[in-house]
Amino acid sequence: MNGFLPHLMRIAELRQETPDVRTLCLEFADRSVASGFEWRAGQFALFSSFGAGECVFTIANPPTRGGRIECTFKRLGKVTTSLERLSTGELVGFRGPYGNSFDVEGWRGRNLVFVGGGIGMAAVAAPLRYVLDRREEYGEVVLLNGARTVPDVVYKDEMQEWEAIDGVRVVRAVDPGGEEPGWKGEVGLIPAVFERLGLKPDGRTVVVCGPPVMLHFMLLTLDKLGYSREQVVTTLENRMTCGVGHCGRCNVGRFVVCRDGPVVTAARLNDLPEDL
Amino acid sequence: MSESVATVASENAGAVAWEPRIVALVCNWCTYSGADMAGTSRRGHAANARIVRFLCTGRLDPLFVVKAFENGADAVIASGCHPGDCHYVQGNYLARRRLTVFRSLMEFLGLDPRRLHFAWVSASEGIKWAATVDQVTEVVRALGPVGRWAAPPLEGLEQFALPEPDAEPRASTDTAGLTEQLREAAAALLAEGGASVVLGYAEGSLPGQRVPIFVTEPAEAARLVWDESCAANLTVYLPDAVRRRHGDGKVAIVVKACDAKAVTGFLRENQLVREDVVLVGVACEGVRLEGRLAYKCYECAEGVPAGADVVVGEVAAARATAPDPRDAQIAALEALEPAERWEYWQRQLDRCIRCYACRAVCPLCYCGTCVAEKNQPQWISKAADGPGNTAWNVARAMHLAGRCVGCDECARVCPSEIRLDLLNRRVAQELQTSFGYRAGLDASVPPPLTTFRPDDPGEFL
Amino acid sequence: MILGWRLTDAERREWLERLLGSGRRVVAPTRDGGLLLFRPIASPDEAVLDYGNTRWSPKEHLFPRAEELFSYRLTADEVKLEQRAPDAVEQVLFGLRPCDAAGLARLDSVFLDGAPDASYAERRSRTFTVSLACDSARPECFCTAVGGSPGGTDGSDLQLVHLDGSWLLRALTDKGVQLVETVSALWEQATDEDWAAAKECQRAVEEEIARTPLAAEWAGVLDGAFGHPLWAAVGERCLGCGVCAYVCPSCSCFDVDDNGSAFCGTRCRLWDSCGFASFTKHASGHNPRPDQPSRYRQRVLHKFAYYPLEHGSFMCVGCGRCTVLCPVGLDIQQTVRRVVEEALA
Repeated sequence: MNGFLPHLMRIAELRQETPDVRTLCLEFADRSVASGFEWRAGQFALFSSFGAGECVFTIANPPTRGGRIECTFKRLGKVTTSLERLSTGELVGFRGPYGNSFDVEGWRGRNLVFVGGGIGMAAVAAPLRYVLDRREEYGEVVLLNGARTVPDVVYKDEMQEWEAIDGVRVVRAVDPGGEEPGWKGEVGLIPAVFERLGLKPDGRTVVVCGPPVMLHFMLLTLDKLGYSREQVVTTLENRMTCGVGHCGRCNVGRFVVCRDGPVVTAARLNDLPEDL
Repeated sequence: MSESVATVASENAGAVAWEPRIVALVCNWCTYSGADMAGTSRRGHAANARIVRFLCTGRLDPLFVVKAFENGADAVIASGCHPGDCHYVQGNYLARRRLTVFRSLMEFLGLDPRRLHFAWVSASEGIKWAATVDQVTEVVRALGPVGRWAAPPLEGLEQFALPEPDAEPRASTDTAGLTEQLREAAAALLAEGGASVVLGYAEGSLPGQRVPIFVTEPAEAARLVWDESCAANLTVYLPDAVRRRHGDGKVAIVVKACDAKAVTGFLRENQLVREDVVLVGVACEGVRLEGRLAYKCYECAEGVPAGADVVVGEVAAARATAPDPRDAQIAALEALEPAERWEYWQRQLDRCIRCYACRAVCPLCYCGTCVAEKNQPQWISKAADGPGNTAWNVARAMHLAGRCVGCDECARVCPSEIRLDLLNRRVAQELQTSFGYRAGLDASVPPPLTTFRPDDPGEFL
Repeated sequence: MILGWRLTDAERREWLERLLGSGRRVVAPTRDGGLLLFRPIASPDEAVLDYGNTRWSPKEHLFPRAEELFSYRLTADEVKLEQRAPDAVEQVLFGLRPCDAAGLARLDSVFLDGAPDASYAERRSRTFTVSLACDSARPECFCTAVGGSPGGTDGSDLQLVHLDGSWLLRALTDKGVQLVETVSALWEQATDEDWAAAKECQRAVEEEIARTPLAAEWAGVLDGAFGHPLWAAVGERCLGCGVCAYVCPSCSCFDVDDNGSAFCGTRCRLWDSCGFASFTKHASGHNPRPDQPSRYRQRVLHKFAYYPLEHGSFMCVGCGRCTVLCPVGLDIQQTVRRVVEEALA
């Protein structure tokens, strides 16, 4: 019995978040697996479409919303295209959870900022939802979501639920040129919008997930604004194959993303070579 | 893939007797309509052909045929409009050339030629279509099933020994003088601004090993060497070297006559501008691999590359040549029965580890993303097994058809010593015999598979 | 006292016959179409034990080129996943050079440490290794530079030494003892003098290899030299094929790929190489290692920095195959020395 044999999961529900981003809500075909299955916010899994192959996605729902596994992905290559073609009731493969997770216990009592750019929102979703599910344990929560254009905003509906929660501020931003008439949110690239928010680095933890270029400039901005690198956290998403540190594909220098990550502080990231 | 298909097939085998499975790759305008007409005319025929419709035979990629066999076909028919009647004017002319070359390659690999049929069937030839399908079905029924496609050969069978030449046409020569002249020429080019880099050969770390170097300073030219071990074709670096140094000066490159033919290929395919390159042609009496003269050198009368900008050394006026030993080797293989030849090649390809060294060293393999890396769909299985290796090597030979200049680098570097040079040469022979074409001689002649003549040969039903 | 025996050539042959007759698969260097490769043999005469090294390493017998992980079949609204039952045949890798045996030990550390890979572990558990000490060196050998030796026992269950027409044999692990249990009582015991002679032979070969060792500290030096501009030059002529990774006894990178249609097929594990351009390429098109020098650097650092810093020994075992077979003659240990020299300067 090798570790590559996936669990079978049935698509219970699917949501087309944007023209090319879809969320799958999956249930274990084998109920007995579901009851014992545990994971932590930030961990990832290998999801597969039989015939197309496997792909790494972060598990988008936190364990506070158990019973199902959710993933949100963008249609980019062979596997995501194949997954997007599946309908409810069809089966996909799942193996996981792998990797480390966000220190949601250590964040208790703190103010938190979640910055999700594009499909990076999927990575931010798990810890954010966890925190909102245990609202009373955490301080102020700010979500800054950036998308290229208005139609590209992921989790549109849920965002409205989030901002209705006490102490939660949701800032939506689109890239310059991406706005539409009637757009009430921000316009600008994420690092610039973040600066405008005027949030003080008062011990709050910042979770940033998004495309490499966005991450790069956000980290520079956070540095500039005085955030300590220990209080900034991100997830690395390299191309991964095995998920357990054997296949040699995901290392960044000595750091093996699937084993030592994917969650890293900016401090740790700073030590890593330019191999990302 | 063939593994699980075979499982399914064998599970079903108990239920029904074997019937030939024929895949028919047909063009929409003629053959498909012709097949339709067979139906409307109530001209029944064997139900063994599964039709796959294309807009034009010009779209037929040899990999479609390979895929058909991988997926359990016992035979393949490719059929389209008659020459001159193509709905897209020239698609079938191109197909005719491509399929002619492809069939010669598959026959050489040992596929029984009776499993591959090409036909011209027009929209009004419903009767011909029916007759073609019936005929092919009966031929294949007599042949029997293909069985597992590209399965590893049985253990313990003797490897077929290819004939080796009795004698070499030329003996070793002393190349010390050429090394000196080359170093001077390279230093001069760099010092005088004739080039900003010289691609040449240097001593490697192992005895007798020669490795590529990029010399940018006149003093470094002292590292250049020239001798009979300088087998590598450095032109593989050329387009990239030019791109990276563009504007900074020309790229000079040490080339033999065989290497320089690849430059012709680059020029023809718009990968290089001649003025960006300085060809430093060295008078070569032949390269030796482990002391033996390389096969390609037997028939080489050139010595110095045509069109060299700088010539180092001189070649004797009349130099001894002999027929390329590969011709006898190809003939020996062609004298075998298809099944034996198939086994020979499957034994060879079974050792392919898919390192793609053949692709990496080939100057003419410069695609940004190789067909083997394309995964939507994955035409060539990534697995280093029989079907995957067969598909890869067929694709490689076909993609180089008419472009390969016979430098034999692929065969030299293959860690499994697969006779890739025989595959390339057989294809080149077909192009010469059928279309009078030889690669690497004239940059103004278009690659043979991109052009056609209305009276091209081609055996079609 | 080392447990050991001295066998005549006839006894060695007879032992092989026994192994072959015991229902085990014996894999030894043998001629395969002009190449010397590790293949299952059917008789002792097929084993070639008087050889330099095989064309590629024996690792494929523990870590196959293409391995079916499971098959899938879609029917109606179900998916049937099936795994083949493992082979269950014990295999003896017979006549490995010490560098190749060390390579297997490197693979063990990758696949068995931490979360063990089940199929590798299964295959490994029924594999016995009998290494053959070297009595001469080839120009490309550099095991001594990376902590190995022509008589090294890393990764060996048993080791053979060819000495004056006889064969010294010693068991190094419990598995090794197991493999000779039924027959060792018939053999003459080896003496201290025998082993001293063997040691002398080994020393002579080490002298022949004549390579200065790479210092263990260099792993850290290389790790720190990630950004050094010299990498662009040392990796300049690399063409990005997979020869080095595939013939290497310790390279273990792999890919997982579905082979088949949406309806039926297999999910396979396949060899892969960090040298290929698409190895780290994201679906978005972003590639952390966008050029060949950065990919070549990864190979060198993985072998000589990352692995040693984690496991305490170089991942490279010094067999030299990559240097011989690289189409452009890249010499990895020479690269290491060059970069270290520049970094320390």
